[in-house]
Amino acid sequence: MSYSRYGAPPNTRAVNFMCIAPEAQHVTMVGDFNQWSPTSHPMKQMPDKTWLIMVELKHGHHRYAFLVDGQLTLDPRAMGVARNDQNERVSLVPVS
Amino acid sequence: MKPSVTRKLATRAKSSGRKSAPGPSGKIHPVVIYPYRQPEDYSDLKLLYQLIARLNREKDVYARPLTVIDRKTHFANEDNKSFREFRTRTVARHSDILDTWGVDTCQTWYSGLGAAFERGGPEDVYWLIPGDFNYGTKMGQEVLSRLHDLPEICQELQQDLCIGEIATDHNNSKQLIDTYGTFALLYNWFPTEAQAIREYTERPRSEFFAVRHGFLREVLRHRWFAYEQTVVMLLHAVFDNKHISRFFVGNISDLPTGRDSLASAMQQVDRTERVLKLLWKERNQPQAGWSEQYRVLEERSEQVRRTAHVIFQNLLG
Repeated sequence: MSYSRYGAPPNTRAVNFMCIAPEAQHVTMVGDFNQWSPTSHPMKQMPDKTWLIMVELKHGHHRYAFLVDGQLTLDPRAMGVARNDQNERVSLVPVS
Repeated sequence: MKPSVTRKLATRAKSSGRKSAPGPSGKIHPVVIYPYRQPEDYSDLKLLYQLIARLNREKDVYARPLTVIDRKTHFANEDNKSFREFRTRTVARHSDILDTWGVDTCQTWYSGLGAAFERGGPEDVYWLIPGDFNYGTKMGQEVLSRLHDLPEICQELQQDLCIGEIATDHNNSKQLIDTYGTFALLYNWFPTEAQAIREYTERPRSEFFAVRHGFLREVLRHRWFAYEQTVVMLLHAVFDNKHISRFFVGNISDLPTGRDSLASAMQQVDRTERVLKLLWKERNQPQAGWSEQYRVLEERSEQVRRTAHVIFQNLLG
């Protein structure tokens, strides 16, 4: 992502997420940042079968989870756990 | 001089734009629990109060920090020049001091959180910071740089309680106490709630936490226990379907004040049992047949406690 030389400094940071689900057919990332849309952030499977995505996130704390073949799945590498508005357990990531 | 923590925090606060736009989310009230036993080496406390100094400067985000000092600590160190100087030149400079008489640590929490609550408003968040940790070490500094996440999570994500979780190895006394003592007793007295708590944290006795004004108001009005109050707050949060979150703050250990001893581990489990019994009775006494159920649970509880003691004897004795 590029920013104008005269524009405001970027208030976001690119964060990489990895999901290990070698047998999964389809994995997407959902969270506050995409209004928990199950389709807007599909993850890409790498040759070693892990699923990856890079997301631009604003500074602050974000709730998120992986949808592994439609199943809401916590990130075992997450820094924290909280509940989303549907009262489901989801992961937490701080962005500084 | 180790300025890395404060520098990192200041950079973060500026980069997030919080200084210029605190928003309608209320203030964060840092409440520091000063160590009961005065350390000979002040390096841990100096690092902690570098953070407190920075918080004290950010007046649009943080309320004036509050340090709670037990009067017994004060009187035990009346002739200690280092203590007097540190109290006057550092603690009092960067925070208000609340001198209190307390039977145990959680009573000093009660005094400190209660005093901060009386200064606060509905959108505010209260952040408990224990003073007796090894903040001077590299890992301690890493923890200090993450602690601010706890109140921020409460503010940004509208959480009622955010527990800071520390990592320890499996044979650490904290881990042993929580596995064979705290959770085993919780599963006996409050099995449903214990499962809910464990979905969030493996450290239900953590001294690192932040709590929102509304939930703090509720727990301050319940019976407050002199010890194991984090467990009690977690139980109330589950009873009342509050929003709980957990955040990893790093690897850290208590300062060596004897907490690792066998006697101390046993005492902590005994206290947990005592608190859970009282809380169970408080909630169940209005129901018919509670005393029979209590006797059954009490018998099982004794077995759990004895088993924990045997395990501690084997591993810590």
